[in-house]
Amino acid sequence: MAVIRVGIVLIALGLVGESHALAHHSFSAEYDSKKPITLMGSVTKVEWQNPHVRFYADVKDQTGAVANWEFELASGTSLVRQGWTRTSLKPADVIKVEGYLARDGSRLVNAVSVSMTDGRKLFAGSSFEGAPKQE
Amino acid sequence: MARAFAGCVVALLVLTGSASAQWITIRLPRTPRTADGKPNMTAPAPRTPDGKPDMSGIWTRVEATKKDNETDNFNLLDWMPAGAQIRMRPEAAAVYQHRRDVLFGGGRPSEQCLPHSIPDAMLPPVNFKIVQNPDLTLILYEEFNHFRQVHTDGRMLPVDPQPAWLGYSIGKWDRNVFVVETVGFNDRSWLDDTGHPHSEAMKTTERFTRIDFGHMDMQVTIDDPQTYLEPFTATVHFTLQPDTELLEGICDNEKDSDHIVGK
Repeated sequence: MAVIRVGIVLIALGLVGESHALAHHSFSAEYDSKKPITLMGSVTKVEWQNPHVRFYADVKDQTGAVANWEFELASGTSLVRQGWTRTSLKPADVIKVEGYLARDGSRLVNAVSVSMTDGRKLFAGSSFEGAPKQE
Repeated sequence: MARAFAGCVVALLVLTGSASAQWITIRLPRTPRTADGKPNMTAPAPRTPDGKPDMSGIWTRVEATKKDNETDNFNLLDWMPAGAQIRMRPEAAAVYQHRRDVLFGGGRPSEQCLPHSIPDAMLPPVNFKIVQNPDLTLILYEEFNHFRQVHTDGRMLPVDPQPAWLGYSIGKWDRNVFVVETVGFNDRSWLDDTGHPHSEAMKTTERFTRIDFGHMDMQVTIDDPQTYLEPFTATVHFTLQPDTELLEGICDNEKDSDHIVGK
């Protein structure tokens, strides 16, 4: 699978509101609301399951090194109620993700929004109600 | 203050139809409707053949005004009057402070798909379904497919039962209020996602009132003298989710617990 260009860019996003963790686990115990991140990559795998839908993408950093990142979304039941299906995001889709980094330093991101490179936004979802919102 | 709210997320992608849509959005014949065909959320509360209010339906709690702004996790205080306190015994207060301020709500049982407690199972924005029958009312939680049985056949609460995550419940009617008493809890669940603890001695009393077709209130009183200096009560408001069905929420891909680090 082709790996696309990328830059890992930590950007200063406007954070508004508080973050409420959803039922399954605490947002702030796992993710750092002070570390927003934007990544671009190519989807390698989608896990359409509960308690969270997850997908993985190959991401190339500014040095050209490629790494596979994990992205957490809302629950499968929640996304289905928002109109998503298990094929809304597919391997080889090229995406841009805005989200928050895991506290433990792993290549794990709580995805708040996922967009196609042509600008179409796939979802503005998050695995958390009230995860810090980007303006 | 803006809040991201999952239920209000707008999916901008053009989505194709799916069979699941016929399950998630289904025109139920018992839903009262306004002239334009929409669910009439303020229609009178339905009643059972014996005249009791019928609590049956799929419900989700109304978000409360946040009162504990030091944590981003749901706190029972959010559903209590402004200025209310939950007064804990010293050892319980230490447990709570560690969970709230050090773990940031990490370590709670639901991380590993174990049950939330009463009332915590109804505090996040997740659906649950009440199925009311004459001798037994079922409460079905979409998250993780957990359930409760509320017996209304006249039995008494059990004495010294095997401790259970969701306890043992009996129900009775106080005029139009469905009163659910529960004992026999284990001490492993949290009362809320912030981390209020409880002991096996806890007794909960939930008072459900169906206001109309689309709205229900629940007052829950926590009585646990081993943990709290006095009983306390929270009030949770619910909105009916009309014309839909529960979905399977079995937790088959838990991967977060290894990443929980807290502060």
